[in-house]
Amino acid sequence: MAISGNSFGRALLSGAVLVAVTLAFSPLARAEEDNWPSLRQSAFGDRAIANDGMVALDAPPTAEDAALVPITVRVPPSVSQGLKSLTLFIDKNPDPLVAKINFGPAAGKGGERSFSTRVRIDNFSYVRAVLETEDGSLHIANKFVAAAGGCAAMQAKDPDSETVDLGKTLVKTFPPALDANPIWSGQVMIKHPNSNGMQLNINTAEFIPARFVKDVTVKRDGELVLQMESTFSISTNPNFRFTFGKGANNNLDVAITDTDGTVFTAQSTPSGS
Amino acid sequence: MSQMKRARDQEQVRHDPPANHSLGFPISRSAFLRGALALAAAPLLRVLPGHAGEALDVAEIAPGIFVHQGRYEVQSPENRGDMANASFIVGNDAIAVIDTLGSAKVGQEFHAAIRAVTGRPIKYVINSHMHPDHVFGNAAFKADNPIFVGHYKLARGLATRADRYLAANKQMLGDDTFQGIEVILPTLAVKEPVSLDLGGRTLLLEAQSTAHTDNDLIITDSQTDTLFLADLLFSVHVPTLDGSIKGWLTLLDSLKDRKAARVVPGHGPHAMELPAALIPEQDYLSTIATDVRNLIKEGKTLEDAVKIAGMSQRDKWKLFDYYHLRNVTAAFAELEWE
Repeated sequence: MAISGNSFGRALLSGAVLVAVTLAFSPLARAEEDNWPSLRQSAFGDRAIANDGMVALDAPPTAEDAALVPITVRVPPSVSQGLKSLTLFIDKNPDPLVAKINFGPAAGKGGERSFSTRVRIDNFSYVRAVLETEDGSLHIANKFVAAAGGCAAMQAKDPDSETVDLGKTLVKTFPPALDANPIWSGQVMIKHPNSNGMQLNINTAEFIPARFVKDVTVKRDGELVLQMESTFSISTNPNFRFTFGKGANNNLDVAITDTDGTVFTAQSTPSGS
Repeated sequence: MSQMKRARDQEQVRHDPPANHSLGFPISRSAFLRGALALAAAPLLRVLPGHAGEALDVAEIAPGIFVHQGRYEVQSPENRGDMANASFIVGNDAIAVIDTLGSAKVGQEFHAAIRAVTGRPIKYVINSHMHPDHVFGNAAFKADNPIFVGHYKLARGLATRADRYLAANKQMLGDDTFQGIEVILPTLAVKEPVSLDLGGRTLLLEAQSTAHTDNDLIITDSQTDTLFLADLLFSVHVPTLDGSIKGWLTLLDSLKDRKAARVVPGHGPHAMELPAALIPEQDYLSTIATDVRNLIKEGKTLEDAVKIAGMSQRDKWKLFDYYHLRNVTAAFAELEWE
């Protein structure tokens, strides 16, 4: 009988199983308490937050892949004010604060503005978007998302492929359908594990330390569109789509910093269209 | 009492297969009739009907190779996680099991089906990949003290997902059926090809690059030239993508030239023929890939893509609505980097 191949240490593995089993029901337990009042308090204190339709949130009612849930925040064209900030929450995630986006002068006005990304959702949870407009008032949109039963996982499908091309960044711009529309769209995507510190290194059988994108700064023709602080609730290979105000050249410059302190920079290829 | 035991032992010996021959086992009159019907429908299949709640149905698809066909369903208290194909291969000295189904309960029923055929030792329990419907019956085999075998990346994949798999399956199977499920990781990890000698026949285990998952194994039985593709091959049940669509399509391409007497899918009939068996799955995956690539070219978003891509395949598969959108999501996230 020929047996070859690597074999993990039994003890090491039973340790891993023990950890996994101990964690088994913690997400369910967490789902039962409403932690929004305390989240809201720590982020915004006693400030009033209006659910007044000035911001809308699109998210699937059921996550097809809980590791990759697309969410879109829209500010309808009827809102004429400039935007100050946008804060995204997923109540039941290990770190409920997903991202805080501060808008700059190049964020644009005079049409529908939007921000999209993809997030990890740990369990049945509310996703919330809190918009701060120029006048300092706060506006909220909420969506409940159910994690799809069964195979959804927070982890990457192929962790080994993640380190290949790490930091590769693509920046795209999309002109509006109508020339008169002063709002353009941009997209930033970066190859990055955005790891949450819960993945096992197969060679050492140790947990891979958390490493995720924590700051993204986007400028159009040198002027700030947005600056974002983010957490590991953003999916692997972070992907952002956003609007910005039409400029002279509409060139985007992007700087991305991760928790290791590595800075990745990229520019949009001139939109030939 | 002792006489009964001896009778049972003798019977067990009689159940055991002579080397290189089809198994001989006594069958009841009704079982014979059912078997005869099955034979008429599929001349190569010999069906061993199970007793409800005790032993699962298995069919002998080639000498010494038995396959249980799972249901085209998602986990429920009624199906007890019986929703994938599981096989066992009987050698002169030992048995190897390929997949243990989705709960300790149904794993025990599969174990009983094996014991209805032979009392030979279960030496290997091979997990074709990490998904719960293939590995959550492992606990039912613990008492046999087998070597648990899997792709070298299975342990990582399953260990990091274990808490969520357990929580989700508890919810879907219900507390009673969930009882006894344990995450048991492989003690033999396959990276380079591994041969397992069962006595008179050898199983070849080959670790694959990322396709259905990042830990898929292909198993070949030397004696009957039977290829176990597990979830690299779906039939009737819509494929589920939890690895790489490009990797899976590449693998299917390379399998076209592979010769085998028969192939056993992870979900689908007991046995199928190459290369015809691969075509519907290849169509499904390449349709998604083509649609998604076109949508990305048009600047469409992930949200747009899930509404359109691959919808032309909707009538061709069971459980399409349950898994398809997730497949498109995964394909989109992979292909947008091209």
